[in-house]
Amino acid sequence: MPDVDVDVDVTVNGVPRRARVPARTLLVHFLRDNLRLTGTHVGCDTTQCGACTVALDGVAVKSCTVLAAQASGHEVTTIESLAPDLAEITARGGTLAAAGSRAAGREPPASPEPVSLHPVQRAFWRHHGLQCGYCTPGMVMMIRQLLADNPDPTDAEVRHALAGNICRCTGYQNIVAAALDAAAELRGA
Amino acid sequence: MFPADFAYARAGSLAGALAQLDAAATAGDNVKVLAGGQSLLPMMKLRLATPATLLDIGDLAELKDIAADGGQLRIGALATYRDLQRDPRITAGFPAIADALTVLADPQVRARGTVGGALAHGDPAADLPPVLLALNARVTIASRAGTRTVALEDFLRGVFSTDLADDELVTAVTVPAAPAGQAYEKFAHPASHLPLAGACTVIEVQGKAITGTRVAVTGIAPRAFRIDLPQRDLASRSVSALRAELADGDSAGGPELDAMLAGALEAAMAAAGAEPLADQHASGPFRVHLAAVMARRALARALSRADAPAGADE
Ligand code: FES
Ligand code: FES
Repeated sequence: MPDVDVDVDVTVNGVPRRARVPARTLLVHFLRDNLRLTGTHVGCDTTQCGACTVALDGVAVKSCTVLAAQASGHEVTTIESLAPDLAEITARGGTLAAAGSRAAGREPPASPEPVSLHPVQRAFWRHHGLQCGYCTPGMVMMIRQLLADNPDPTDAEVRHALAGNICRCTGYQNIVAAALDAAAELRGA
Repeated sequence: MFPADFAYARAGSLAGALAQLDAAATAGDNVKVLAGGQSLLPMMKLRLATPATLLDIGDLAELKDIAADGGQLRIGALATYRDLQRDPRITAGFPAIADALTVLADPQVRARGTVGGALAHGDPAADLPPVLLALNARVTIASRAGTRTVALEDFLRGVFSTDLADDELVTAVTVPAAPAGQAYEKFAHPASHLPLAGACTVIEVQGKAITGTRVAVTGIAPRAFRIDLPQRDLASRSVSALRAELADGDSAGGPELDAMLAGALEAAMAAAGAEPLADQHASGPFRVHLAAVMARRALARALSRADAPAGADE
């Protein structure tokens, strides 16, 4: 039997990580199970839903359809890197709202908008762009890619960019609204 | 879902990859080449493919180049769909390729999927093969013994079957300069985004006359195939007559042209001895009908581009 394990040497959110795993390990499982970065979700496992979207060398891909071995020597960015201080706090059991305010050095206000979230995440907050939240990490990572490629997308362009991201809750309306609002904020409009 | 166990090797150079393929072919080892993996990995997860070894060529920078040479474009096998979509030489010179990329899978898949991988995979319902067929593309293939070039027409064989030998790699696809009158239209399965039928049309126009029409279709036969419409079918019509016929879209001019196109597709399939594809999604005759409608719509869009000044399209 040939060796079916492989050394994976990958930079994840700026931190070099290394592990020896079975070659068939998918990147999403490597992130979740080996590195405990569970912000990246597995929805379908069949390249359809986009919940597993991460950036590989800066470009959004579906991490259920990339081998961890293929990412070796490359750079992966996950949802955790978008608001790192909050990821840190929520990992210790704090709530997002309280964490957001604390991260900004304030007491939690009554109806808070977490200030240190990524602009796309903040727009989701404002527009209620999520319900169960399962698709959200993938949606945010894909919209981040869209806005890098096209800072001023139309409604139709946002929907086209989200062709590979499925949401079973929201009906997409508020997700699209959030994407357009985040685009405006990032453009300084 | 996991693929079955396999050994993983990453190629550091094209020569190294070819040597490894050569050794594996001699030893009879079950090696699969991994490019972007957007077709192969899903098949492996379903255990429809269980290679003993994956040879990952994804990091071979020498296969990623897109180079213009006169009007012709040499596309490295590892150029991704996303690379093509962002290349102005594609969007300006080959609008039919741009059409296909817009409706192919989704952005994340397009960021990984490669041109060479798509061709080597031989999926009978893929978007790019009909476009490249209609554009007279040629495939460059390397092995340890050397390099050869084959017309895509001769490269595609059947369902997941191509002219590629076990010790060979697709290294590039070359597309000659093409007339502006070209377009791709598909009828997508709503869940998979794969074409139930898709058609690319390239139309050559000289003054008021149509001097040539090539149509290539996907999704309806074991491989994408191409028909050159006989003069009597289209070329006898003047550009303005054809435009008038197409102007009414799916209503007035549609049925007559659709019947002509469906007849031509059926005749070509019968001549090649190709059985129409049929599955739970669509029967053979329905796919042929869809392909004819897509071909007519592609014809209308191609014609609108044929004499539009560059950059004035859409
Ligand atoms: S889990 Fe990767 S696309 Fe659904
Ligand atoms: S918010 Fe529930 S799946 Fe999108």
